[in-house]
Amino acid sequence: MSNRPPILQARGLHKSYASGARRLQVLRGVELTVLSGESVSIRGESGSGKSTLLNLLSGLDAPDAGELQWEGEATLSAARRGRLIGLVFQSFYLVPELDALDNVLLAARLQGPIGAAERARACDLLGRVGLADRTGHIPGKLSGGERQRVAIARALMNKPPLILADEPTGNLDEGSGEAVIDLLLALCAESGCALVLVTHNAAHANRCARRLFLREGGFHPV
Amino acid sequence: MPWPLYLALKQLFPTGRRFPFFTFISILGVALGVGLLIVCISVMGGFGREIRNMIVNTQGEVQVRSEGLMQDPRAVMDAIEKVPGVLATTPFAEGVVMLQYQNKPAFPAIQGVDANRVDRVIPLRQFIVAGEYDALDDDRVILSAQLAMTLGARLGSRISVYSPLLLEKLKTDEILIPRELEVCGIFEIGHQQLDSSVVIVTLRTMQELYGLGRAVHGVNVKLGEGIDPDRATADINRALPVDGVAKSWMDANQEFLFVLQLEKNMIFFLLLFIIVVAAFSVASSLLIAVVRKTREIGLLGALGASPGQVAACFCCQGVIIGIVGTAAGLGLGFAVVHFRNDLVAGFTRLTGSQAALERFYQFSQLPAYLSRTDLLLIISSALIVSTLAGLLPAWRAAKLKPVEALRSE
Ligand SMILES: Nc1ncnc2c1ncn2[C@@H]1O[C@H](COP(=O)(O)OP(=O)(O)O)[C@@H](O)[C@H]1O
Ligand SMILES: [Mg+2]
Repeated sequence: MSNRPPILQARGLHKSYASGARRLQVLRGVELTVLSGESVSIRGESGSGKSTLLNLLSGLDAPDAGELQWEGEATLSAARRGRLIGLVFQSFYLVPELDALDNVLLAARLQGPIGAAERARACDLLGRVGLADRTGHIPGKLSGGERQRVAIARALMNKPPLILADEPTGNLDEGSGEAVIDLLLALCAESGCALVLVTHNAAHANRCARRLFLREGGFHPV
Repeated sequence: MPWPLYLALKQLFPTGRRFPFFTFISILGVALGVGLLIVCISVMGGFGREIRNMIVNTQGEVQVRSEGLMQDPRAVMDAIEKVPGVLATTPFAEGVVMLQYQNKPAFPAIQGVDANRVDRVIPLRQFIVAGEYDALDDDRVILSAQLAMTLGARLGSRISVYSPLLLEKLKTDEILIPRELEVCGIFEIGHQQLDSSVVIVTLRTMQELYGLGRAVHGVNVKLGEGIDPDRATADINRALPVDGVAKSWMDANQEFLFVLQLEKNMIFFLLLFIIVVAAFSVASSLLIAVVRKTREIGLLGALGASPGQVAACFCCQGVIIGIVGTAAGLGLGFAVVHFRNDLVAGFTRLTGSQAALERFYQFSQLPAYLSRTDLLLIISSALIVSTLAGLLPAWRAAKLKPVEALRSE
């Protein structure tokens, strides 16, 4: 187990936001190492800084202090992020003008020209998330659960070694949420992809191999 | 296809939506501007060409004149005809006379032409509306249409011609005997000034009326197809014996052509503003799209798009609207130009202004001509303006930070 290489290493992450005249210290020295293929859940109260942390982990935002390494490298260009990290958000963020298949393919298009292999993979992924007969539907014609499943297929499209999911079931009813978590865990396990799952739901969190709790700017064991 | 272009196309023409309204309005704006430019510049160009043809048809492409009289036109013509590019030459003498027919006087300009040569330079024959061009001899005259009408003269009428030379004779107390000429033809060129009061006689008659002897006032020159009048004029000037200066029709009508060109430029400039206004609407609808799609722009960043690529995506939308709008505008413009006479006919029938149109504009058919340069100018300015319209939204989109964009609700 421990001889698996780390995908992501975070050391002493600090992040604060200006809040009026004072600064709001959201993260105060977060330490986190995610190994290849492992699943980690992060719980925490609303406003505890989970999204802030994920933004740092995905390289979309920079920490005030601390170190980050992705597969041993401290820099993460936009293009490399597209290859290395699949992102799943609470509110899906599908492109409304594109149908389900094109939304999944978009992740590949951003990496370079696409061909038959990419199309086949996108179709396959949509089949795996149970949307084989919905490939031509635009997001407006899909239910919330179906949209999130498209987003999961998109996150997996480039075969990233790491998935960061920020409350993926937050906008879904219980049944759909359950299905989404099942899929996420199954697909990650299948492809050997590490998963960091931010969630409010204790049951969902408990299905991950490692469980963390974010409080007062740092991790506490559950 | 690079993905910014792909996404731009998809955003303008989304999957599954048959009628993208925003896109249609934006394209329509550009198309109307381009179409209007095509129509107006074509008609302006048509008039310009009519005028050019009229000038060239009545003066030749190059006119050679001397300071005073050209005493030896033969030698001058021989010299000119050796210049490469020159097809034919014809001498002319010109002046003013007084005409009288049944007590009605007129003071038209008079042109003496060499009946044997003039045809090769100036297509007089094609302007004859009554009578025979070939009947012109030393005792006959061809009148312009309106002059004939004012005088009430017809074919076969005999008119008296008084030349300024008669005034000299008056001083020496000689008896005034006017020259009697018979009308053998009536011409109409389609130009108010020329049609109102010009008479054409043979060169010999003119030389007698003015006492010129064998001298003429100048020589009209016809050039071969596609010969540059300015080049040929320079060549002719070099070949000319001492007396005589050649001027191309463009030089001779410089002021007039300048006004014509200025008018066309003004119209182009004013109508270009329609495209500029259309571009503002393109820019504003793209700006709205940037705001509306803030979260998707953030998503693109999360998926690995660089700010430059995001900018390219919105810039492409401006370019695509420009290209499609320009193409539609070209189609629209050329269709209107093609059916212009039917449109004018329909319009005048509606307003009952057919007669007025013909009287004031001396045409019943609207001319149209669009030069390649004008066409390219219209196309490129439409494309440039609509590309510029995409730049501001593109810059706004590129400035969005993915984290903040994703956070926006
Ligand atoms: N861009 C920002 N500017 C100011 N405050 C922010 C910003 N982003 C987050 N915060 C604040 O940081 C805290 C943590 O936010 P967030 O990471 O979204 O929490 P969580 O995802 O755990 O609910 C919140 O109090 C929030 O108001
Ligand atoms: Mg959050």
